[in-house]
Amino acid sequence: MSRTAPSLWRRGDEEVSLVRLYVMRAVALLGVWGLFETVQTLVDHDPMDRGVHKALISGLWVMAFFAFRYPLKMIPVLLFELVWKTLWLIFFGLPQWWSGAGSLRLAEDLWAIGAFPIVCVLVIPWGYVWRHYLKAPGDRWR
Amino acid sequence: MVTTAASVAERPAESDLSLFRLYILRAVYLLIGLGEGSQIAPALFVHEPTARGVIPALLAGMSLLDLLGLKYPRQMLPLLLFEFAWKYIWFFAFGLPQWFSGQQPPTFAEDFFNIGFGVLLMPFVIPWGFVWRQYVMAPGDRWR
Repeated sequence: MSRTAPSLWRRGDEEVSLVRLYVMRAVALLGVWGLFETVQTLVDHDPMDRGVHKALISGLWVMAFFAFRYPLKMIPVLLFELVWKTLWLIFFGLPQWWSGAGSLRLAEDLWAIGAFPIVCVLVIPWGYVWRHYLKAPGDRWR
Repeated sequence: MVTTAASVAERPAESDLSLFRLYILRAVYLLIGLGEGSQIAPALFVHEPTARGVIPALLAGMSLLDLLGLKYPRQMLPLLLFEFAWKYIWFFAFGLPQWFSGQQPPTFAEDFFNIGFGVLLMPFVIPWGFVWRQYVMAPGDRWR
């Protein structure tokens, strides 16, 4: 059966196709590269900086290394990216864009945060998520 | 051969976690999901019209997704690893230096308490042996 023969594009008996794994790894690399700018500010910042934002982003940067090696196991982080960025769009980005009055960094954030949910939606292997994070029986309770 | 019934704290298999650990993990997911979530959710709805909103969105997203950890405590561990990572990063890059220097932003006391709590708690919650086997030693996903 062709179903059992995985190719570059078909998953066959594997969980996801090889192309999917490469795309997920590419996003992980993008994270390693793109978030590094924020990581550098950990050692060089205003002494009064609240730092929560920088620490959160730096935490994601660390996770990106794991995601490069284990794209499938680190899917929760991608889901997290999708959820928080979508929340930001719904409650902050879009209303401010439409009203014309936003934070000083709105234009920059709309691009850096607002565009990423689209990337997440395209990159996340939804069949896998459905099988493993929704349909699969949960861990035992007793 | 004597087979003992799996006790609450006994680890059934090398790749698995004890039932006790699963409950601890679930308790933490619930704490973050409902506890932190209920604190942060209002900030999504009521805020300055020009608020940047990155921090409330991040924390609310985290809380929402942590609820999935109630069903899949093992699979959602990356979220707890992320919690561990960012809280320790904050503690060492911002919390401690500001504590010692005395130069602190107005939110410092609140942040130091909330994040410091995670810094104290997370090392005991995360099943390090499992994390080591699954996220460090296990072969990575395939390349060809």
